[in-house]
Amino acid sequence: MNNSFSSLSPQDKEWLDTYLDGTIESGEFENMQDHMVRDPAFRKAARLYLSLDDALFNLGEDGSNISQSWQGMTPTHSKKIVSFSRLFPLTAAAGLAFLLGSGLMFWLGRSSPQEPLVVDSSEIDPPSANGFAVIKDLFNPIWSKNSDTHLSGDSLGAESFRLASGTAEIQFYSGALMTIEGPAEISLKSAWEAVCHEGAVRMKVPPAARGFKLHSPSTEIIDLGTEFGLVVKNGEGRVEVFDGEISLKHHDQQERLLIKGEALTLPQNGPITSLETGQINTPDTAKLRPHAAEQAMNGFRSWQNHRDSLARNPELIAYYTFDPDKNTNLIPSLSLPRNPDLDGTIILAEPVGGRWPDLKSAFEFRRPGSRIRVNLPGEFPALTFSCWVRIDSLDRRFNALFMGDGYENGEPHWQIREDGKLMLSVMVDQDRNLPYHPESRFHHVYFSPKIWDLSMSGQWMHLTSVFDPEAGEVSHFINGGEVSREEIQPEFEIRTFHIGNAEIGNWGQPLRKDPNFTIRNLNGRMDELAIFKSALSTERISRLYQQSRSTHR
Amino acid sequence: MPEAPNESKQDDERYEAYIQCFTHAEPDLRRFIRSLLPTWSDTDEVLQQTALVAWRKFDDFDRSTQFIKWTCVIARFEALAYRRKMARDRLVFREDVFELMASEGIDEIEERSAEHSALEHCLGAIPPEQRKFVTLAYTPGVKIKELAAEAGSTSAAFYMRLKRIRHKLMDCIESRQSSPPTS
Repeated sequence: MNNSFSSLSPQDKEWLDTYLDGTIESGEFENMQDHMVRDPAFRKAARLYLSLDDALFNLGEDGSNISQSWQGMTPTHSKKIVSFSRLFPLTAAAGLAFLLGSGLMFWLGRSSPQEPLVVDSSEIDPPSANGFAVIKDLFNPIWSKNSDTHLSGDSLGAESFRLASGTAEIQFYSGALMTIEGPAEISLKSAWEAVCHEGAVRMKVPPAARGFKLHSPSTEIIDLGTEFGLVVKNGEGRVEVFDGEISLKHHDQQERLLIKGEALTLPQNGPITSLETGQINTPDTAKLRPHAAEQAMNGFRSWQNHRDSLARNPELIAYYTFDPDKNTNLIPSLSLPRNPDLDGTIILAEPVGGRWPDLKSAFEFRRPGSRIRVNLPGEFPALTFSCWVRIDSLDRRFNALFMGDGYENGEPHWQIREDGKLMLSVMVDQDRNLPYHPESRFHHVYFSPKIWDLSMSGQWMHLTSVFDPEAGEVSHFINGGEVSREEIQPEFEIRTFHIGNAEIGNWGQPLRKDPNFTIRNLNGRMDELAIFKSALSTERISRLYQQSRSTHR
Repeated sequence: MPEAPNESKQDDERYEAYIQCFTHAEPDLRRFIRSLLPTWSDTDEVLQQTALVAWRKFDDFDRSTQFIKWTCVIARFEALAYRRKMARDRLVFREDVFELMASEGIDEIEERSAEHSALEHCLGAIPPEQRKFVTLAYTPGVKIKELAAEAGSTSAAFYMRLKRIRHKLMDCIESRQSSPPTS
């Protein structure tokens, strides 16, 4: 074989290196491409060099060990996080593993092979984390069969959806607020533009969003700072201004103004005609909110029942629901029989709203020093961690969920890497080194596929990870569905687990002196954490999720 | 509604067959996509989409052809669609370059795969310190500029070091490829 790379000129190599590093200037990039078109040998060398780049990227799965020897070099995250389709229902997470590639090998495909089929063509185009609108609220939404489904808090980009019934409030980043009542079909174009193909819509446009355009099938409506309603049925529109004014252009007719107290019909064919006001019904969320509050209360009560029954589970090591004790200001472990020694001490972590913001609290670990410290003595034959967490962003290279202090033999680390992969590891032998990483102690990190990206910022999710020595497997679950399962290799086998001093939301007092690497505070909040001394089965995890979930996310 | 047992079993088998094929093809497919797009994260996205599309079209897959070639064709299409959506200021290959890279890349799958085994050997042969450096620099989310600053160095120096290590690896790969097999 010919040595394609070594025979390149210094200029050729310089192009390739700067292209890989992302530092090539645009003029040089053009020159490089011109050269590529002319020279097949250069193209071939480029492919070889890019495949090297790919291999290097896939080289280090466990950065933590490597970095421990690079004191003073704590990388910060900033790279674009690859978004995966949040439209893909997380509860159907069994299919997620295969979508995400890296978890592929570990997924045994036993949960439900049909699930990938729920993905339809509209989901091929994943929405990016940098959408331009967000679902502010939903009231009894039922999505049409052929539509994407959404949750409250989802970010939205250029996309269409069909709401069969119920009401959705969409906040555009321009400031415009759109309330939609199903049955409706809506397309979002930008922070400044949307189309109502069918259904009833109410727009509220503050001064900052003046100029927002809403299209009906026959008419373009430009909002001049106002509140108006539009109903489209079978292609025919009716519009009424409740406050302020709008400008509209119907077919090719001249633009005209419509002011408060005026209403018009917008026929598919033919001219506009005047309409008496009060004839169109547009959604009003003010009327829906009391009902929604009642639903939240019901959801909360059913969660309380779940909490009280879970607290009696003898397999629990500890169970925290993050409602601090008013007298001690500690986070009590609710597991029964009650043992105050297991209560957590709050350090800098701040109380915030939980999944039911007015009814239940959560703790946030936004500041680098924030943490909740616990001491959980004992020896355990297996471990299961399960929590409800709302991640705002993954700011640290490793973002702590629950971390044993010293990471000594049998002690767990449960965390999320900045690329959104969930990690569970337990120290196997602190006195031995890994052959491949001579500077790190003998352990293995079990990764899930990517389970989080920026488009999920602010959404509550249920995470569970299981270390099961009996079955010889470590598995991860998102919202009750399995996303990965990896066999424990004989050399990494562990039979006895300890926790001792540990932290929720950060990593405290590691025995090693690598301060730059120890800050692992989670930029997010947690409102429920259960730690079991057994390996929960797939069915039980699914049930745990169902019973502890909020209907209102 | 529960599926009829037979149908479900068939789906199981079909799915398992797909997973098996895809798992096997994934590294080659990844390298192919990587040669067409500017970054790893772009590669990840297109790989995911390709997995999805290939699964949906799996019934159309002609078993007499190579699965990897078939998925490369899908990946080429997906990568093309993806690059069209990307911002113009990014380091995206022009369409003429893209087409050349894709059509030649498909024919080189086996060659890439062979190079990869050489690469694995070469990675094992570089000094641990250099290996650590590359691993760290290639960790997702790491910014060379910040890394260099914190180490009291400059990004130029870091890029230079990376470049030297990569070149060394290339030399190693190519010398292994050109020397006759030892066993």
